[in-house]
Amino acid sequence: MKNPQRSPTNPGSLRSRFTQVFLQSLLRIRKHNPTSSSSSSHGEFLKRCRRVKVAAYVSMARAVGTRRAWSRATLWRARNGERQRNLLYGRCSKSNSRERSLGKRKRKKKKKKKRDNEEHSFGHAKKLQKLVPGGEAMDFCCLLDETAHYIKCLITQVKVMRSIADFYSL
Amino acid sequence: MMNLGLQPEMFFHLNGPQVNLAVAGECSDVTVLERQRTRFLWLHEQQQLVQKGHFGAGQFAAGYGDGLMMMSGGGNSVLGGVANLNRHLKVDPGFLKYTSEVGGYEIPGQGFVACEIEVGTGPEITSPISRTSSCPPPPAASVDTGCGEMASSEKAGSRVRKDSCKKRKYDKAKDTKVEDDLKDKKFKGSAEEGQSKTTEETNDKDSNNNNGETSASTSKENSRVSEVEKPDYIHVRARRGQATDSHSLAERARREKISERMKYLQDLVPGCSKIAGKAGMLDEIINYVQSLQGQVEFLSMKLAAVTSRVDFNMDPLLAKEMLPNCTASFPAIDIPTEMINAAYLQYNPAHQVVSCQESEVIPNANVQRTISAPAPMAEEFFDPSSFAVIPANPFSQLLLRCEISVQAFLILVSYLFLCSHFSPPLLGTLTYKTFSMESQQGRTTNFAGAIFRFT
Repeated sequence: MKNPQRSPTNPGSLRSRFTQVFLQSLLRIRKHNPTSSSSSSHGEFLKRCRRVKVAAYVSMARAVGTRRAWSRATLWRARNGERQRNLLYGRCSKSNSRERSLGKRKRKKKKKKKRDNEEHSFGHAKKLQKLVPGGEAMDFCCLLDETAHYIKCLITQVKVMRSIADFYSL
Repeated sequence: MMNLGLQPEMFFHLNGPQVNLAVAGECSDVTVLERQRTRFLWLHEQQQLVQKGHFGAGQFAAGYGDGLMMMSGGGNSVLGGVANLNRHLKVDPGFLKYTSEVGGYEIPGQGFVACEIEVGTGPEITSPISRTSSCPPPPAASVDTGCGEMASSEKAGSRVRKDSCKKRKYDKAKDTKVEDDLKDKKFKGSAEEGQSKTTEETNDKDSNNNNGETSASTSKENSRVSEVEKPDYIHVRARRGQATDSHSLAERARREKISERMKYLQDLVPGCSKIAGKAGMLDEIINYVQSLQGQVEFLSMKLAAVTSRVDFNMDPLLAKEMLPNCTASFPAIDIPTEMINAAYLQYNPAHQVVSCQESEVIPNANVQRTISAPAPMAEEFFDPSSFAVIPANPFSQLLLRCEISVQAFLILVSYLFLCSHFSPPLLGTLTYKTFSMESQQGRTTNFAGAIFRFT
């Protein structure tokens, strides 16, 4: 009772790691755009939504580490995505986050089409590849493996985020 | 190509019977013409031998150079004392590598064909066997016994050759070495097999290695090789009636892996266990992932809305998020290291109280507490006055370095207070005192001091 378990293998570790990273990034977001001006426009709000979402994904990937292909892909996308987005979509309507996310999706699709002709016959696998980050480059076996881990992490993520949101909506 | 593919053994076979000299040192260069002549002579002799030994006639081709070579190795051998076996090998350049793998079967006098003879191990074989079919494992195994029992005269050298060739089956990478061995042994062991041409041999050997390495990449050859190798590996999982070539084995292994993962996913995704069929399951998985991602989207919107509030304080949240972790694994006793951070980031007593209670309000499957009181208390303490962030003081830094056990104990104490329905102000002071050590709201009493003494 006096020596609490600190082993990294305890079941709460992923969750706590994620929570830590996510809250820190939330703090950073908050610091980055001061709250006074943020609630003014709708576009501003959407932008903030996106940032929070990206922060959630990235902090989950960071909590997982680079062992997993999907977390690597997420981190890579977050890192390079910023740059590309600034290059590609920076000029046109930067405030609209929806457009940007659409663009992102389009890019993903293009990448996919090259790949899946060769491998997977069923369309389900294609869909799944689209959903799991980094899935475009995986074969079906790996994809299932990564999907399982990804689902686990998503569940944790949703739980944590919900508890945070619940806390504030009290 | 032809010459490249030729193996030393072949030359031995071809030249062996004619020549009476076996010492390597005495070997001299022989012209190609000469060699061809000797080869023909030898083949002829072999044929006669074969006929003598009640065997079918071999196939011979004169065109050694034009890309098709038929070799006949024949001889008398006693296999299990029963049968004389004959073997006629039809070798074409593409298969030379293969023949090198199975080179042991080309030994004259051994007269035994392991490949493509299902019948071959047992009774007499009277017909020439062309070497186009696959090599089944049992005959290969029986080669050993045959080799052991070989009582004929041509013997030591061929046996050695055969063994080394078998070795080569195991490890292609050792080709060169094995062939070196082979050569040496050949020289030593086969006195009657006659002259060998060192220079030619070495040339042939090298080229053969090259040839083997390059041509081994063809799929046909690979499959053949794998067929030969198969008996060496135990983990072949083909059951009766299943295909046994390497491709279908690999495919089967892959399918097994996929189904295993599918099973795992089935456990993971709710409602997926009832669905049969891969497509339906995948559908369900996709839906689930999509719904989870949608939830993340929604929650991030919610969070964005929440965090964009003017008076928003992250600190209680930090503490709160840390607490469910410890309550999840170990109700209120096990504090992960993040707890320190929580304490560090926590400067406001009221928030601390709120967060402590929040951790119990949040529906968490692992939380085993059954306190109903905290919720009202939380609201009670949620006064706006406490939203201001108090900067860190050295004492809290000091606290950060405290033992985790101390922290754990403090939380335990506060938990006990919660259970015993202590009054909220008292609890507030408690946490306030223990975590931030700042006396600001006048509620700090000697109680906190007592707690510290206690710890």
